Amino acid sequence: MSDSTLSKQAETASGYGYFRARMRHYAKPFRQASRTSRWLVFAGLGILIFFTLVAAVGPELYGFGATQYRVETAPGQFQQIPQLAPPSATHPMGTTRDGFDVMARVIGGAKLALIVMGLAVSVAMLIGVSLGLASGYRGGPIDRILVTVMDSVYAFPPLVLAIIISFILGAFISPGVFSAAFAVGVVYIPQYFRVVRNQTLAVKQETFVEAAQSLGAKSRSILTRYVFFNVVHTVPVLLTLNAADAILTLAALGFLGYGVQPPTPEWGYDISQAITDVSSGIWWTAFWPGVAIVTLVTGITLVGEGVNDVVNPLLRARGASGPRLPRRQKKPRKGADVEDDSYAVSVRDLRVGYRTPKRPLWAVDGVDFDIRYGESLGLVGESGCGKSTLGRALMQLLAPGCRAYGSVRLGGEELIGQSERRLRQKRGDDVAMIFQEPMTRLNPLMRIGDHFVEMIRTHRSKISRKQARAMARDVLSQMGVPPSRIDNYAHELSGGMRQRVMIALGIVLNPKLLIADEPTTSLDVIVESQILDTIAALLGNKSAGLLMITHNLGIVAETCDRVAVMYAGRIVESGPVDAIFNDPKHPYTRGLLASTVSLETTTLHSIPGYPPDLLDPPSGCRFAERCPYAMAHCTEADPALTDVGPSQSAACFLYPGAGQDVPAGLTPPSGNPQVVGI
Amino acid sequence: MKKGSFGHYLLMRVLLSIPMLLILLTLVFVLLHAAPGDPVTATLGSRLPPDQIAARKEALGLNDPIYIQYFRYIGHALEGDFGHPITDSRSVGQIIEDTAPATLELVIAAMIVAVLVGISVGALAARLRDTAFDLGGRFFGILIYATPLFWSALLAQLYLSADLHWLPSSGRIGGFYVPEHITGFYTIDSILTGNWPALWSTLSHLALPAITLGLLVGGVFVRLVRVNMLQTLRSDYIDAARARGISERSVVYRHAFKNALIPVITIMGLQFALLIGNATLSETVFSWPGMARALVLFIGARDYAAVQGIVTFIALAIVVLSLLIDVINALIDPRVRY
Repeated sequence: MSDSTLSKQAETASGYGYFRARMRHYAKPFRQASRTSRWLVFAGLGILIFFTLVAAVGPELYGFGATQYRVETAPGQFQQIPQLAPPSATHPMGTTRDGFDVMARVIGGAKLALIVMGLAVSVAMLIGVSLGLASGYRGGPIDRILVTVMDSVYAFPPLVLAIIISFILGAFISPGVFSAAFAVGVVYIPQYFRVVRNQTLAVKQETFVEAAQSLGAKSRSILTRYVFFNVVHTVPVLLTLNAADAILTLAALGFLGYGVQPPTPEWGYDISQAITDVSSGIWWTAFWPGVAIVTLVTGITLVGEGVNDVVNPLLRARGASGPRLPRRQKKPRKGADVEDDSYAVSVRDLRVGYRTPKRPLWAVDGVDFDIRYGESLGLVGESGCGKSTLGRALMQLLAPGCRAYGSVRLGGEELIGQSERRLRQKRGDDVAMIFQEPMTRLNPLMRIGDHFVEMIRTHRSKISRKQARAMARDVLSQMGVPPSRIDNYAHELSGGMRQRVMIALGIVLNPKLLIADEPTTSLDVIVESQILDTIAALLGNKSAGLLMITHNLGIVAETCDRVAVMYAGRIVESGPVDAIFNDPKHPYTRGLLASTVSLETTTLHSIPGYPPDLLDPPSGCRFAERCPYAMAHCTEADPALTDVGPSQSAACFLYPGAGQDVPAGLTPPSGNPQVVGI
Repeated sequence: MKKGSFGHYLLMRVLLSIPMLLILLTLVFVLLHAAPGDPVTATLGSRLPPDQIAARKEALGLNDPIYIQYFRYIGHALEGDFGHPITDSRSVGQIIEDTAPATLELVIAAMIVAVLVGISVGALAARLRDTAFDLGGRFFGILIYATPLFWSALLAQLYLSADLHWLPSSGRIGGFYVPEHITGFYTIDSILTGNWPALWSTLSHLALPAITLGLLVGGVFVRLVRVNMLQTLRSDYIDAARARGISERSVVYRHAFKNALIPVITIMGLQFALLIGNATLSETVFSWPGMARALVLFIGARDYAAVQGIVTFIALAIVVLSLLIDVINALIDPRVRY
């Protein structure tokens, strides 16, 4: 464990440190959010603060009152304010039909709008949250009735509901701030209710609550605390949405005459009073209150959008921040070593970089390998070592903000630097990929057959729909899927069946290279071995190469001819399956093999430590920190891949040729690590 | 009926809407009987002598115990009898028949505007993510949402009708053109009777209210479609489609679009409620002789009976609408039926 993690833990132990850590935890998404999102929040907050200031001190500072129609020129002497005066130095926004100063009314309206907004949203949140907690906690018929009531209220036209509530409240109390706030706020109750109730229900079913209950803890307080932490991300977004809506609803109520008691300044009411002015060419009485509404609501919405961007990572701008990646050589590089097309794929010095805020992250950092037709290469390594990125780079299907360098020759044709159009022709036709989770890889709204027809006709425009369907039936039955399933939807198939469909989709056009990225991880063992047999059988006619990406060495032993072991973005050892399994050379490979469980396993071994941070890779051998054989110069120089046996190579200084002499007296390890231990 | 079949789903969904309907009706009844006093006194108390008020109350059954009134109300509502206003000689049913087509015509026209604007701008903004178009589209959405309908309608009326004389500023049709009554929808009636001047007059009257109302909801759709498209474009099956070499156009419009629109359809149902609510404002500004305006006028007259009748009708309409939306959803998305 590194020092910084330790000090962080020490910090969280103290009360203040805990607070700081929590704050940092909540501020983190904000810091990670895109510049646009942050800008949105700041612009919105600026507007909101401006209006709050205007509402708080405006009425005191401004020379006219909102309902003042005369000015005292001398003690006891009053002069009427001119009616419908256009904007001037004394009345910057003009005056109304009643001789009120428009700016004073706009300022007064801001105060009312903000008070009603605050009250309405608080009332809705208070009622919604407490009802939601109670309903979710109690359950039973009360819960069901409340849910239906809330759904019904939610489905009702919100403005009509607000009008009716204010109409009914009018029978009890005279229209004022409270009745307006209540009429406006009732509409929002169901939203809070729903969020909190669903969370309460979810938390209640957690076992830790039951455990705490059985220990006699106050389950209610546990419940409240967990629900709070779960809804703390949703409620701020709801709050801002509702706050913006509250301003608009209040104005609409005022416009229809159901807001607060006139002549209280209220933007909507003022606009309704200005209708007659508008038709006689007087614009200022209606214009300014409207501008106030638009600005304030825009401000609140901007805050909401920004907050939403921050708490909902899906909406964040694509990860294209930070320094740009280096440019690529313009022309596809001529293959230095491999000119002939006897290889399905030939990879040279492949590097794949991701843009990150400070410097590029090289997920794949200089990789070479070849796969012949009919050959299968297993690519193994821990999660995060770059093997999936490598697989995607082989079809140039990279995430935004990610770029590949070097050379990938598919059937002799260079792919790096190739046009997107040409790459699209290659994908699916010459190179196909089988993904990890078959459950989500088929379009849920398309029948199985349509996936085939679409793909076949994209690449072979001459093939008719009917022929394409026939091809689909053939390849499906070859994969062990009844051809009648062609008109099913994905959700009607089992996981194993879907993976067979995915493989069928992959091979229907006879690609030169098949990439299988953890194809059986989400399947059970029996289906796994069936699928692996199917994949292995595909290579029989020598028309395609296979790259099997996996962390499972058993799968490699079962299906592959050769293995490449990847560590921290590089291949550290490669060779025939037999050689790698029986006589691994690189200490990482040895560790990896020793940590697999088999029937002969007596003690479970694990490699101590963690892979290095790829943002800041160590200067020497990347495995040196965890290597039991590490020597002094291992942390200084970078070992190159060298031959360590017949067609077996490893990047390690333990073997001559890696760039350093092996120290006298040190015998490189050999033999099966599971049998002899490393 | 087979489980998973469409018929089975339809039956279950209809059964499920019964409690929702009963609860909505109960809510309406409770709300409108919460006010102290009785509706006749509240409406006419100052204008009629006490004996006439008593007679009216007796005639309306207001002296019966509250639970009898409740069951009578539910029974009548389910039969489609929405009662009688106190300030109007027509029955509420008749008033709805007279005014609902106008409101529906406006709301449907607005919905068409909203869907066209929302889907095209939203989908394009998602495809051109983080470009000027995307930012502009987002800001347009926010601004449209932030503009009160009655204000933008007022400004549009002032500029396009009073200043430029392009479009009529109020009413539903020019007085001379009213088409023969068949459906009550002037657009449909004028097409059915081949009355082209009437159609032109109807459309020009419809333009301003429908566009102002439609843009408001369109702003909501722009956001919704954009977010859903963005989320769908990140899904695994889109990635897989790209890996099969499917063209970006097909990926966006064949694979992502339909999937992204499913949640939008559900929310479209809810937006109908928003449209009906905001129709109160549109109809008021444009003197549109619809149901929402009638409701506002009856509320102004404190006519509880009429308000109750119209609100009951709205409640019924909402239940039917949400049923319809779910059925459409089930037709589009094969997963829903299970």
